[in-house]
Amino acid sequence: MSTATTAAGRRPSEDFRPGSKRQHEVTRLMPGPMLAIILTVLCALVLIPVAYIFLASVNSDIGVARGEFFPSSFSFENYSTIWSSVGLATGLANSVLVAGSTAVVSALMSIATAYVLVRYQFRGRLTILRALLGLQSVPGTLMVLPVFVLFSSSATYLGIQVIGTQWGLFLTYLTFAMPFSTWVMVTYLRGLPRELEEAARIDGASNMGVLLRIILPLSWPGVVVSGIFAFLLGWNDVLFASVMTRPESQTAAVALQVFGASQEGGAIPFYGQMMAASLVCAAPVVILYLIFQRYLVGGLTAGGVK
Amino acid sequence: MSTDSLTAGKSTRRKTSRAAKPGPQSPDGTLRRRKGLSERNRPLWMLIPGGLLMIVIIVVPLLLGIFMSGLDLDQYSLRQWVSAPFIGVQNFVEALTASPLLHAIWLSVSYSLLAMVVTIPLGIAGAVATQNAFKGRALIRSIFLIPYVLPSFVVATVWRTMFQPGSVIDSMLHSVGIDAGLWLNGPQSYWTLILVQIWASWPFVYLLALSGLQSVDHEVHEASALDGALWWNKLRYVVFPYLKGPLSLAFLIGMLHHINNFTLPFVLFGVPAPSDVELLPILTYVTSFQSFRFGLSAAMAFISLILIAIPLFIYLRAVKLDDAETPGGKK
Repeated sequence: MSTATTAAGRRPSEDFRPGSKRQHEVTRLMPGPMLAIILTVLCALVLIPVAYIFLASVNSDIGVARGEFFPSSFSFENYSTIWSSVGLATGLANSVLVAGSTAVVSALMSIATAYVLVRYQFRGRLTILRALLGLQSVPGTLMVLPVFVLFSSSATYLGIQVIGTQWGLFLTYLTFAMPFSTWVMVTYLRGLPRELEEAARIDGASNMGVLLRIILPLSWPGVVVSGIFAFLLGWNDVLFASVMTRPESQTAAVALQVFGASQEGGAIPFYGQMMAASLVCAAPVVILYLIFQRYLVGGLTAGGVK
Repeated sequence: MSTDSLTAGKSTRRKTSRAAKPGPQSPDGTLRRRKGLSERNRPLWMLIPGGLLMIVIIVVPLLLGIFMSGLDLDQYSLRQWVSAPFIGVQNFVEALTASPLLHAIWLSVSYSLLAMVVTIPLGIAGAVATQNAFKGRALIRSIFLIPYVLPSFVVATVWRTMFQPGSVIDSMLHSVGIDAGLWLNGPQSYWTLILVQIWASWPFVYLLALSGLQSVDHEVHEASALDGALWWNKLRYVVFPYLKGPLSLAFLIGMLHHINNFTLPFVLFGVPAPSDVELLPILTYVTSFQSFRFGLSAAMAFISLILIAIPLFIYLRAVKLDDAETPGGKK
């Protein structure tokens, strides 16, 4: 997967004399037993609930309700029923469609915006940079009602039906993903040397040419990171999707939430199906993270710290 | 906050007219001359798509929301919201006096703080423990990130199942002789929420703490080794000061995330939520989409914006917007 240093970036202490035992003694922060205790506790804290998701998903509903950790009977049946019972097939298709297109468009738009913000000087530049940071924290609950009213007004006054379609979600997620995606690109583009662009310009490249031929190929790790964060925003959202979708345009997140809420009262809920669906919804995200871990962690701390 | 985005919107529009005045931020000539080439033909139009989108979907609705907080809007007048009766500050008065808003603010702030108080030591411990190389460290770092990676709705669904009466947590506690009572209802639900939030958000603190630890110079390690500092003293007096910056940042961003967090309580407890976990976002949502008091809900949302503005303001002041070498690079 990734080597020891990747998640951390460059560590000077290791660059000096790699593997030297003396060096290890010097940089050590904690005695070994203490370290082992902390690692064990934290790993258990994380892994027990995660293991439970899987174990409960192959357990019987009665077994889950009785409080079994290890299932008394195994069955993978839940994984075949959830596609229709939870509505996960449509949900996942919608999620992939909306979050995927959000990711692509937002990555492309944010690289253009970030390019202008990093390389050119103009009035209002710092204000835009500050707004990009500020807009990341606008509460979604503040926006959901006015956006809903705005979109439904477009049906009343312009005759364009936005509510209930994937377009409404796409536009919303795209807009809310832009500030963070752009900020990630800004921090990434700052690290690129100017010289290549200048050389391209001397060779007669236009602004668009520089962006497409020089910046884009050089900054694809940044593009991937900002695209993935946009994807996650769309994938993880429940608030907007719960208000602005119909059953046929529901995302996986809403499908799961609705299914969970509908199990209240009455007979034993379909816990197994809920857990199986949770695992299926989480899998793409976890896989994305594991593949791009080194870039994502860097992008996250850069987006936050700088 | 709202003014910030407003000016951003305005300046985007202003730029489209290509007012090519030299920016006031870069007065020193040397820097300017070096960039002379790029000064002329600035592709400011590239800001238009993003700018337009943010104006239409963020700035306009923000203004709309503020306007709606002065209207008497319910499900009947929503269709014709433009002609709904304007009632001034009545919604705000009602929100502050006759609704559970103040209780919700208290719950939101206290829960955010309590969760932060636990996540910070957990995050530091995780970072310190994985800072030095050992076999399997990469695997452990990946494991630590799992809770952060899992979508909130999945985290909430799973914990909701585990906290069901008689379910796995109850039966485990029962086997050691504890009878904990209800987790998802009644006063204990508040602590359930904090617990799940801690589980979900400590890796974020961990990441930032890790980035702080990496900024500790090697010389510092050598110096404290020469002085024969004990590990605890070294951590306390030598290493922790390096974490102050990243951790205050983690604190601010974490507080903003917690106060804004809608998905976790929404999926964990459902709506209408028990009154012990009727947080600000939940209350705003329920007032809109369950009791259809849209004007009142807009007023609540506006008040929560003011609440958010406090940590946000500190954050924006503290953050360095520019590098030294980029144009206008003097903060």
